[in-house]
Amino acid sequence: MEYKKIDLGSYNLHLINTDKFKTVSIRINFKRKVKKNELTKRSLLSRVLLESSMEYKSKRLLEIKTEELYTLSIDSSSYISGNYLIFSLYSTFLNNKYTEENQLKNCIDFILQILLNPNIEQKKFDKESFNLAVLALKEQLERQIEDPSYYSSIRADEEMDKTSSLSFNASGYLEDIDKIDEKNLYDCYLSMLKSDLIDIFVIGDIDNEEIKQEFTKKFKIKTIKKPSETHILSYNKFRKRVKTVREKKPFEQSKLIINFKVEDLTKFESEYVMRVYSFILGGGPNSKLFKEVREKNSLCYSINSSYLPVFNIFKIKAGINKEAFKKCVSLIKKELKNMEKGLYDEEDILAAKSTYISSFESTGDNPNSIMGTYISHEYLDYDLIEDRIKNIDKVNKDMVVSISKKIHLDTIYLLEGDIEGDNNE
Amino acid sequence: MNKTYLENLDLSLYSKKLNNGLEVYIIPKNNCNNIYATFSTKYGSIQSEFVPNDSYEMIKVPDGVAHFLEHKMFEQEKGADPFTFFSERGADANANTSAFRTTYLFSGPDFFEENLNYLLDYVQSPYFTDENVEKEKGIIEQEIKMYEDDPYSRLYEGTLFNSFKEDPIRKSVIGTVDSINEITKEILYKCYNTFYNPGNMFVVVTGNVDPDNVLKIIEQNQKNKKFDNFGVIKLKKYDEPDEVEKQKEILNMNVNLPKCTLSFKFNLSLFPNITLKEKILYLSIIFDCNFGYTSLFNEQLKQQKITSSDLEISNIDNKTHALYTIFFESDDYEKIIELIKNEIKNLTLTEEELERKKKTIISSQVFMSDNIFSLNHKIVNDIIKYGKVITEDYSIIKSLNIKDAKSVLKNMDFDNYSIFIIDKK
Repeated sequence: MEYKKIDLGSYNLHLINTDKFKTVSIRINFKRKVKKNELTKRSLLSRVLLESSMEYKSKRLLEIKTEELYTLSIDSSSYISGNYLIFSLYSTFLNNKYTEENQLKNCIDFILQILLNPNIEQKKFDKESFNLAVLALKEQLERQIEDPSYYSSIRADEEMDKTSSLSFNASGYLEDIDKIDEKNLYDCYLSMLKSDLIDIFVIGDIDNEEIKQEFTKKFKIKTIKKPSETHILSYNKFRKRVKTVREKKPFEQSKLIINFKVEDLTKFESEYVMRVYSFILGGGPNSKLFKEVREKNSLCYSINSSYLPVFNIFKIKAGINKEAFKKCVSLIKKELKNMEKGLYDEEDILAAKSTYISSFESTGDNPNSIMGTYISHEYLDYDLIEDRIKNIDKVNKDMVVSISKKIHLDTIYLLEGDIEGDNNE
Repeated sequence: MNKTYLENLDLSLYSKKLNNGLEVYIIPKNNCNNIYATFSTKYGSIQSEFVPNDSYEMIKVPDGVAHFLEHKMFEQEKGADPFTFFSERGADANANTSAFRTTYLFSGPDFFEENLNYLLDYVQSPYFTDENVEKEKGIIEQEIKMYEDDPYSRLYEGTLFNSFKEDPIRKSVIGTVDSINEITKEILYKCYNTFYNPGNMFVVVTGNVDPDNVLKIIEQNQKNKKFDNFGVIKLKKYDEPDEVEKQKEILNMNVNLPKCTLSFKFNLSLFPNITLKEKILYLSIIFDCNFGYTSLFNEQLKQQKITSSDLEISNIDNKTHALYTIFFESDDYEKIIELIKNEIKNLTLTEEELERKKKTIISSQVFMSDNIFSLNHKIVNDIIKYGKVITEDYSIIKSLNIKDAKSVLKNMDFDNYSIFIIDKK
């Protein structure tokens, strides 16, 4: 596998060359500092661009074209990563060997057609495509509220800190949709092309020179480069008294979310030690939380912990019976204390390390995972696979104990399932 | 060991049936690091009435036993429990139960021999006690509640329950709170001893392995174990009528956007002279072309703002009957139902559409073959569904033709349908 980064002035081209796969994948990322009032527009933009283009005037015609390109898949998303808002257009298609001679060229044409030749009339997005995207976005936002996992997670984040980008909804807000029209959405699109930082990642059995030529020929834009932001969120205050919030909703099951803010960590701590910590505490069916809360006490079906490095947040989530709330929280707190005291075996650390080593080794089997490591290398200066395997092995118990003291309990949120209450309303 | 080629995919399948009846299937893929192994029994939620191996009388076990049994296999009398064992070796382990099968699995690039031996050993050494069976009930109750809150699961389960009349495929895999409370260790042993005989089971390994080595490990492992002679398991036969159980049901839940399925039930004997696989392929293509992403019908629904999302089509069959389900979300679901009922009178399929869909199915197979997990699932699904691995998918798809397609189209009978709606409270 060979990697090459080419600076083409307005954007960087990252080429990952490997003959392991029958596919080629391309990801085009636009990033800028996240602002809450731009989220809805960018989210809508990611939908409008895939509704139609100048050449394919409806979604149906676009879909037919993807089938003709041997089931090319294409999608886009707008997501928040720390201090950044990222718009991402990504596509995977079969390479020439399994299709036909001009497949690669045809597919790049198609992807860039979607991105650079949208369905525009008089500097406005086509009304029909715009309206369809608006309707679909509204429905997506309504669906999110129905989903207890999503709803409880975002509510817990809001209760922790409403001003943090962690609590923003990258899909946008219902109340902002009416402020958007075909014209100002097109302006948003132009501004994205002009002032975002752009990186293009390509992986597959490719000819670097050919890809470079295709992009320089077909993706000509001029950008105003802005200095980069710090990517990762940082906290200087930690709550002394834990905030507890209970909210009732008509669900069968209750969702418990516990949020922790994490002190600034070194790159090594964030990339490796936190992973081991989280794995031992709540990383899977062998974890302390799973064994104590689920297996010993039968209080839940699901319980896990996760670390969100770009937000510096640590989270515990569980699906429980509301009656078990207090007992669950106290069991979880006991396990957190045990982590601080180092009350676990050397085998737990070894298991965490071997799990990560296996997962790093398997990263190389999936083109999107490989691309992911190069993206985090570019954005966060994260190590590449070989270094990851070496470094995770250096983590020891002292490091895991010491990191447990940098994690500060902030908010305990319970979404209380309350079917009866709902019937009485 | 038999060796066959998977057409058009540059892969070989090795297989052998051992003396004790256990079947082994291996697809080496040496350009990847990871290895994925599954160990399945042809026993799922539908095998709920049968003659146990130690008696002559047909018995009926509570709903949800196969899934409960799967949970309890993780209980071991001595030594490390499966999650700990695999976790210490960096492997991911899990299990899942469907209507037709139960599968135990692990994936991991290292310690393959130990992991594979352990997979065979723990699945072949049940340890059920009154105490550990009781303990599991609380956990599964939480799992049931989690699904009860999910409108999509309720819709799926309601659709099957109302569309089939006799076949236990209509019942939820997990069972109900009441049915799982009837489960005892004696019932679990009865089911285990009947269905977990090697003659009813198969192993599938995909990834970075040497087939001879895999076979050697499995043969060695099985050689020292004693099993009862395996006879044919007597299962209750169900005479599924063409009619559905219930034509329409509305369930009110905490949703903002109503969700609906309209399912058509086809007696597969109405399509003579072609194989089951071909029947399913033709029916799927016909539904896809008339109601899928590339259909005019789907486009018009969106243009008329009756729904904002695409119709989604899925199918399931019990070998005598196939159920094709069209799923949609809309406030005006009654209108969509009327439009679909009208549209089915005029279904069409052109040769051009058929050829394009054939291209997409062939392409999806190539995509699938790049991934050891999808490949493994293809083998498992083929064995469960067709009783053998289909290696000539490419020729089968290539040979689909407009004449047979039109004949299937002509014989489709839409009289038997069922509607399930999840509406707002």
